[in-house]
Amino acid sequence: MDPSEVEFLAEKEFVKIIPNFSLDKIYLIGGDLGPFNPGLSVDVPVWLALNLKQRQKCRILPPEWMDVEKLEEMRELERKEDAFTPPPSPYYMELTKLLLNHASDNIPKADEIRTLVKDIWDTRVAKLRLSTDSFIRQQEAHAQLDNLTLMEINTIREFLLDSLNCMYKLRSNLQPGATKGQFADY
Amino acid sequence: MFIADIKKDFYDVVANQRVALLVAADIDALCACKILQALFHCDQIQYTLVPVTGWQDLSTAFLEHKEQFRYFVLVNCGANVDLLEMLQPDGDSIFFICDTHRPVDVVNVYNDTQIKLLIKEDDDLGVPTYDDIFRDEDEEEEGEDSGNESEEGSEPSGKRRRFDEGAIERRIERQRAKRQWEARRREILFDYEQYEYTGLTWLILDPSPCGLWVNSVICCCRWAVIGLTDQWVHDKIPHMKYVSDIATVQRHVSRHNHRNEDEENSLSIDCMRISFEYDLRLALYHHWSLYESICNSYYTACSFKLWTLKGQKKLQEFLADMGLPLRQVKQKFKSMDITIKENLRDVIEESSNKYGMKDIRIQTFAVHFGFKNSFLASDMVHAATALLESTERDENDPTDNFIKALDALSRSNLDRLLSGIDLAKKKLIAIQQTVASCICTNIILSQGPFLYCYLMEGTPDVKLFSKPLALTLLCKYLLTAFVHSTRNKRCKLLPLIMAAPKDVEKGTVIVVGIPPESETSDKKNFFGRAFEKAAESTNSRTLHDHFDTSIIELKSEDRSKFLDALITLLS
Repeated sequence: MDPSEVEFLAEKEFVKIIPNFSLDKIYLIGGDLGPFNPGLSVDVPVWLALNLKQRQKCRILPPEWMDVEKLEEMRELERKEDAFTPPPSPYYMELTKLLLNHASDNIPKADEIRTLVKDIWDTRVAKLRLSTDSFIRQQEAHAQLDNLTLMEINTIREFLLDSLNCMYKLRSNLQPGATKGQFADY
Repeated sequence: MFIADIKKDFYDVVANQRVALLVAADIDALCACKILQALFHCDQIQYTLVPVTGWQDLSTAFLEHKEQFRYFVLVNCGANVDLLEMLQPDGDSIFFICDTHRPVDVVNVYNDTQIKLLIKEDDDLGVPTYDDIFRDEDEEEEGEDSGNESEEGSEPSGKRRRFDEGAIERRIERQRAKRQWEARRREILFDYEQYEYTGLTWLILDPSPCGLWVNSVICCCRWAVIGLTDQWVHDKIPHMKYVSDIATVQRHVSRHNHRNEDEENSLSIDCMRISFEYDLRLALYHHWSLYESICNSYYTACSFKLWTLKGQKKLQEFLADMGLPLRQVKQKFKSMDITIKENLRDVIEESSNKYGMKDIRIQTFAVHFGFKNSFLASDMVHAATALLESTERDENDPTDNFIKALDALSRSNLDRLLSGIDLAKKKLIAIQQTVASCICTNIILSQGPFLYCYLMEGTPDVKLFSKPLALTLLCKYLLTAFVHSTRNKRCKLLPLIMAAPKDVEKGTVIVVGIPPESETSDKKNFFGRAFEKAAESTNSRTLHDHFDTSIIELKSEDRSKFLDALITLLS
């Protein structure tokens, strides 16, 4: 998958906005949205929120998890635990990037939030690398990782699968007689 | 006709239509164009942007687009000429004119259907009243008819003669009244159209309609500021007007800033902030070294008379007086010592008061985004003008230059802006050197009613001055420098006409006239009319193509007789 595809999927998440126009309920294939009244908050998908924001027709409210204290707690928790802690949101990285790029004037302390989210991301990706390393080293057959987001999985997916394929080919070439890929020492 | 409610009469009308935007080639127009583009993007109005450099361009563009578009928005062009006569549009084309050129042509003012002026109708305009200029033809015809009828009536000769005499008398009376009225009308129109000057576009003066629809209007404010500063830099509006309008814009800017900033929740550093500053009048000094900037800004260069040795010494004294080491001052401003930079403005103001420069500080705006980028409004004006009129080898297509300059004004094209600043530095240096050489070689001649200067073809950087805006800037600096350097009291009050070669192959020169230098002038320029009349009377081959009527193109062979005609006309 391409990271932009993951971002596209992330845009389906809902976020609160405060519009400055009025519109009746709109009936879209994916669901109903609205009605829109100026000054009253309404839940819309991120793609619509960004479009309205770029046309200067709304103000985006930051999601609940996008708060400096909460993110600091999560970062500390992440650093303490060996396993993965539940992420702030299943699409936290994409949403942070989208909202902070287009609507940073509506989000208080945007710079600190950016730094905190990056810290959380770095910690989690480091843990991911560590666990893949031990997976390969110990030649496990299967592994289970909880609480990973799609973006994190996506960063490692292609590399991991390709390299496992290569290693399989190398091992099966070392032993021309072997049939089902016995993992001997290499 | 003047539009009263900009939202109802202009914006709602074009809301669902396709619009053709015809934009003139100067920075004020570019800024207004940016504001309009932002509005159109927000409301998804389709538009076509056509840059035009002169009346011929405007006519061609109109002819090309008149089938597809009904609504035309003319930015900074078209108000000072009878548009309907020039363009011959169909009955359903509607023109919205947003122009700073005054006087507004009377036909444009009084046409109710096709021409809408997006100009604030205030007393400055001084438009003559309708009755003074237009007269109903019906009254006269009726009078004539009744005269005729009474003649045809079959009456006894005595009565008829009496009637005839009465009718003839009345007719003579009417004709006399009509001649008087016409003479008065000619006088009024002559007075009205004699001077050309610059007003302010509605959008620039009053971005509040935009503010109502557009929530975070910071970009529009920024462009409004840049447009206003452009008018001041290119000396189109008097200083007083600049100051009062800066105050108006400042209200809008502070209203926006206040809305976004909270005490606890500070804004991200990446957001654009406009700050109101009482900053120095040195061109581009944040992006240059302080020394270079002082040498190349016309205010300081003319006050010190930097083309003389004595002036150079005075400059050194000035720097020593402020306690600034030469090494620091010649460094790039951004790498100057922090301790020096902190109080720089106050220190410079104090010292410059001693040297007779009372206005070294001016109220202006700066825009900041990110940690590195801060630009004063005048920096952006210089950069964008340099890009607009760039004469670099590969960049001679006016439409390309227009688009590049437009890009430089938006926030995302920083490298374009920085390349514009480099070009602007070269331009300022070239201007300064040309001014110095002109003053030292005394090629400014007093021709009686005006001063005259001709740039020979071999002058370095003369290519730069074949463009109208650059030449006008050179003119202004030259006049200020001349006024400071001459002892002749009478010469100080004269206007200046400058000619520079425009196209060597075709053998044309570009001629620019600017009003005399004075503190309280209202910058009214009568050269437009004067040039026209002189050209007519001598049959010189001239091209009055530019929107500013005081800038024309002339064949070099006709130069001397044109000048002679001007001298006789104006003395």
